[in-house]
Amino acid sequence: MADSDTDTLTRTDTALDVPWNVIVHDDPVNLMGYVTHVLMKIFAYDEKKAALLMMQVHKLGRSIVWTGQREKAEFYVQQLQTHQLKTSLEKAA
Amino acid sequence: MKILPTLEGGLRIDAEEPGDWMLLQGITHDAVSCDENLAHRLGGLITDEDVAPDWQEYIVPDLDEAFHADLSYIASAIAAARVECGGGPGPLWITTEDAFHWYSSLNQARLALEEIHRFGPSEHLSPSDLPPQNHNAFLRSQFYCAIQSLLLEHVMR
Repeated sequence: MADSDTDTLTRTDTALDVPWNVIVHDDPVNLMGYVTHVLMKIFAYDEKKAALLMMQVHKLGRSIVWTGQREKAEFYVQQLQTHQLKTSLEKAA
Repeated sequence: MKILPTLEGGLRIDAEEPGDWMLLQGITHDAVSCDENLAHRLGGLITDEDVAPDWQEYIVPDLDEAFHADLSYIASAIAAARVECGGGPGPLWITTEDAFHWYSSLNQARLALEEIHRFGPSEHLSPSDLPPQNHNAFLRSQFYCAIQSLLLEHVMR
């Protein structure tokens, strides 16, 4: 009687997740103080950093306000849209 | 109409005539006056094909529900205050707990008016720069903006 052996080969592939950018776009309605307030509330940024990002939005038309893991980026975009800021999501270049 | 900060950190809006209540009720009317609702307009900004389908299916309905809840909240507050004073002169109170519902509703109204009339940045704009049919909408938007500024300055700090 022949013995039967089973070999199991396990291979692990590791790939880096692509980072995602959370982008806030300028609009003529949302007040500058409100945009700063929302960035402080959602990201816990200090007032200086939040105001700097807000000014980027105002002067350049958009600002990348956060970069990182997709699920967290989606969460942040949802929060920003709940506060009615024009916000989008894109893969970081 | 007069709007004043309260000692408790909120705002008090004093309606001085029946028309003031109509003006306040206009907030929720303006907020839903745009053909495409705000949740869908915001959802349209998500264009990545890996994300967009789920966003439309799951997030946009949640946003829509949240925005409507804010509008219902302030519509009830205005209606109750109006009934309380028989539709004549009387106060409407905005507490710190109410502030975000009010800010959100005013913002929805202004975003809808902007979507319809395309006023653009209003810092140096006066009604005389606009076609006559847009004057009232612009003045309402400016009125809503004034309340938002008071909320930001005195209540939401």
